[in-house]
Amino acid sequence: MVTLTRAYRFSAAHRLYIKNLSDEENERIFNSCSNVHGHGHDYSVQIKVSGEIDPETGMVVNLEELDSLSEKVLGGLDHKRLDIEVPYFIENQPTSENIAKYVWDRLKEGLGESLAYVRVSETKNSYFEYFEEASCPDEY
Amino acid sequence: MAFKKLLTKTMEFSASHRYWNPGWSEEKNKEVFGKSAGPYGHGHNYTLEVTVEGEVDKETGMIINLYDLKEIMKEVLNDFDHKNLNEDNPRFKELIPTTENIARVMWDIFDEKLSKSLSCRLHRVRLYETADLYVDYRRVEQ
Repeated sequence: MVTLTRAYRFSAAHRLYIKNLSDEENERIFNSCSNVHGHGHDYSVQIKVSGEIDPETGMVVNLEELDSLSEKVLGGLDHKRLDIEVPYFIENQPTSENIAKYVWDRLKEGLGESLAYVRVSETKNSYFEYFEEASCPDEY
Repeated sequence: MAFKKLLTKTMEFSASHRYWNPGWSEEKNKEVFGKSAGPYGHGHNYTLEVTVEGEVDKETGMIINLYDLKEIMKEVLNDFDHKNLNEDNPRFKELIPTTENIARVMWDIFDEKLSKSLSCRLHRVRLYETADLYVDYRRVEQ
């Protein structure tokens, strides 16, 4: 089995809060992540694709196309306040879990079955992974 | 409960390569491979991770003797380190030395070398072309 994994970075701000709760209740649930004016991270996103090596190109996926697709998706998040400027995260909590799903759904349109997983690191101490169980046999 | 025991050793090497399909026109090569089709090649500092699986020997406490694995990796990398892969390594005479293909070639070499070992077998070859890009070549249990 061959997989190729590519890492990208973007920087964004967010605030975690539930609209119909008070600031105090939000702070109880989300702690410092509900700071009224938001805060930011340098996110790292790893995209893994799997498939056969194309005999003509020697590649599982054309890197320039993968870069172009990924940068288009992540470019929509870079240097944004996610819960104010990105419609998806006005509706959905801008957690790394939801960012991973957001990226997965958009890359899936272009990459199809070859997309194996999306990993989002908010800091170097934590990461979140999103994949279909069937496409993730073991030890990713 | 059954446990899988894996051991991974890392080694770096530096090499140059060019992405070029001789069956295509120059335009098509440039269109598909972009900067990587440059006529004189370009280079990377690769990081190779070799992962073996096996049982932990009761007497040595090891899956494989790390010194032995290091010697095998050094010997294999002699054909890759400070080489132009297209020109200097015969395995890439007819195979484009993409990260995918280098990982596949290395899988074949290490799998053959480790097949002589009774205690372990190759589990995965992970090859980093840069910190932001790696390829895994590994066994899938049927």
